[in-house]
Amino acid sequence: MNILEVNNVDKYFLEPSRFHVLKDITFAIKKGKLVTITGKSGSGKSTLLYLLSTMDTEFSGSIRVDGEELKGKSNRWLSNFRNEHIGFVFQFHYLLPEFTSLHNVMLPALKRGTHDKESIEEKAYGLLKMLDIEDQAVKRSSLLSGGQQQRVAIARSLINDPLLIMCDEPTGNLDSKNTQIAFGIFREIIDKGEQTMIMVTHDEDLADRSDEIIHLEDGRVV
Amino acid sequence: MATLKDVKLSVSIAMVHIRSKLRQTIVATVGVAFGIAVFIFMVSFIMGTNNYMMDITFEHSPHLRLYNEPTIAETTILDRKYPDWKNEVHNVRPRDVQLNLKDARQAIQEISQLQEVDAVAGSVKSQVFYRYGSNAINGLVNGIDFDNENRLFNLEEKLVEGSFREMNTIPNSLVMGEGLANRLNLSVGDRLNLTTEAGGTFSIVVIGLFKTGLTDIDRQQSYASLATVQRFLGVPASYITDIQAKLHDMDLAPQMLNKWKKRFGYQGSDWKEDHSTLLEGEALRSMIVYGVAITILLVAGFGIFNILTMMIYEKMKDIAILKAMGFSDTDVRYVFLFQALLIGAFGSVFGLIFGFLIAYAISTMPFESDVMVTLDHLPVSFETVYYIAGFTFGLITTFLAGYFPSRKAAKVDPISILRG
Repeated sequence: MNILEVNNVDKYFLEPSRFHVLKDITFAIKKGKLVTITGKSGSGKSTLLYLLSTMDTEFSGSIRVDGEELKGKSNRWLSNFRNEHIGFVFQFHYLLPEFTSLHNVMLPALKRGTHDKESIEEKAYGLLKMLDIEDQAVKRSSLLSGGQQQRVAIARSLINDPLLIMCDEPTGNLDSKNTQIAFGIFREIIDKGEQTMIMVTHDEDLADRSDEIIHLEDGRVV
Repeated sequence: MATLKDVKLSVSIAMVHIRSKLRQTIVATVGVAFGIAVFIFMVSFIMGTNNYMMDITFEHSPHLRLYNEPTIAETTILDRKYPDWKNEVHNVRPRDVQLNLKDARQAIQEISQLQEVDAVAGSVKSQVFYRYGSNAINGLVNGIDFDNENRLFNLEEKLVEGSFREMNTIPNSLVMGEGLANRLNLSVGDRLNLTTEAGGTFSIVVIGLFKTGLTDIDRQQSYASLATVQRFLGVPASYITDIQAKLHDMDLAPQMLNKWKKRFGYQGSDWKEDHSTLLEGEALRSMIVYGVAITILLVAGFGIFNILTMMIYEKMKDIAILKAMGFSDTDVRYVFLFQALLIGAFGSVFGLIFGFLIAYAISTMPFESDVMVTLDHLPVSFETVYYIAGFTFGLITTFLAGYFPSRKAAKVDPISILRG
C-alpha cells in the first residue's frame, strides 16, 4: 500500500528570480519504509520535504498522503492534517525553550485534543522513557544538551502516532555517537511496520542503511 | 472556528510566555495601569470641580423663571388706523409696560399644586442705589417671601451673621450680601439709605449678612421682605415681578416653561438658556479630559505594541514549530492576543485601584477659598461610570495594540524559518 504518492510535481521559486527547483517529480512510498532523500545542497531535497509535509502549498501536480490529495486544501485543514498524521524532526532540534521536555512532547497531542491530559502525559513520559531521557522530563528544554534535545524532538514527533515522520537532516547537528543512537531509534520505530519515515540527509552512510533512497539532482529524481 | 479547547491551549502557551518574560510583562502592565490611573484621577478631579461649580450655581438659580420684559410693539397705531397704507414710523419707543406679572399670586398658587414642582416663590426685584455716607453703589434688592425662597435656594445656609427671619418683623430691614456690605463698610445693625429708580429714598437697617460664593450676587444683592420692597416701589401687595421654580426633575424645565408661558401669558427662561455658557464649558472640559486620557492610553498602547512585536520577533522559531506541529494561524494569533488582553485587564484593574486611591487622597486634602465658601476639601467625583469607561478604554487599547502584532505572528511562514 502506498502511503505517499507524488505525481508530476513542479515547484518554482519566485524570489529573488524565477527558478525551477523541482522538475516533474513522480514517486511513491510504501507504508512501513524508511526512505532517505539525498542530493547535493541546492538540489531541492529540503524543498521537496516541505512540500510533502503540507507546509508548502505552492506547487503544481499532485501529492497524496494516505489517499488524501493535499493540493487545494485550506490552511486550517492542512494544520489539522499535519497535527494528526505528520511528525517532524528538524535539524536544529527546535523545541520550545521555555517549556519542559515533557510539555514539549505533549503539545501536539494537547492540540489534537482527543485524549485527556493525564493519558497524554503518561504517553509522553512513556516515549521519553523509550528514548532513555525520562530523567530530563521536568527540566526546561533549553537546559538540555543537543543530543538530549534531539531525542525529545523525536519523542514529540511520535506522540500522535503519525502515519509519516519527516526529518530534515535530523542528525546534522549531532556527533557520530548521537547520530548512531538517533538512527538506531528511527530504525526501531519503522521496523514495527506501522509508520513511515522520510528523511532528508547528506550522510551517505545513513542513506545506505535506509530501505529506499530518492536521489535528487538539479530538481530531478535520478 | 477554534474550539474552546484550542483557545485554552493557546492561553496556556501564552501563560508560559508571560512567565518567562515576567519583567517585560510587568513593565507593560504598569504602563497601562499608569494610563488608567491618570485617567481616573483626572476625570474624578475635574468632574468633581465641575460638578461643584454647577452645584453652587444651580443651587442659587431656579430651574424656571417667569417674568415680564418691555417689548417693542410690532405694529404702530398708524398701521391699525390705515392698514392699507405703507406707514413708516421712526424711533419707535417701547411701550410703557408694568414689569409685574398679572395675577401672579394665583399663578404661584396654581404652580405650587403641580406634582412636578418642588418649590416655587414669587419675588419683586428692583434696581436701587445703596447710599452710606458718601458711598453710593448700584445694586439689586430682592423682595422675597422668605419661607418659599428658602425652600428654593437654601438661604438659611448662606447666612453669615444676623437673621433672615426678622426681616418680616422688623420694618425696613434687609439682609445684605457680604461683599456689598464690605464695599459700603457696613455691618449688622447699621442704617443706610436706599434710593429707588423712581427717586424715593428710604432709610433701612441691616439685620444680617449672607454669602453665596457667587461674587456677582454677594457684591450687589440684598434681600428684604416682599412688603418692604413693594412699599419702596409704591406698588400694591399683588405686584410681583418674578416667579422662580424648581422642579423634581430639572430636565422637564423647557417643556414646563412652554406650558406655563402659554397658560399665564408671561415670558420666561429655563436653566438651559440661563446657563448656556456654563453648560457649554462643562462639555468642553469633559472633551479635554477624555482627550488627554485617550492620549495617555495610546502611549501605553504603543508600549504594549512594541513589547509584543519584539516578543514575536524573538519567538519566530517557536511560532514556526507550533505551526509545524499543526497549530493553526488562529491558535497562534490567540497566543499573542491573549497576552495583550491579560496585560490590558490587569493593567486596567490596577489602574482603577490606583486611580481611586489617588482620587481619594486628593479628596481628603483640605482646601479653603474665599470664593468657594462651602468648600473645605478638594472636590472629587466618584462616579462608577468613569471606572467603567476607564476599564473599557484600557481593554480596547490593549486589544488593538495586541491585534496587529498577533496578526503578524499568525502570518509567519514556518518554512522560511525552519529552513534557516
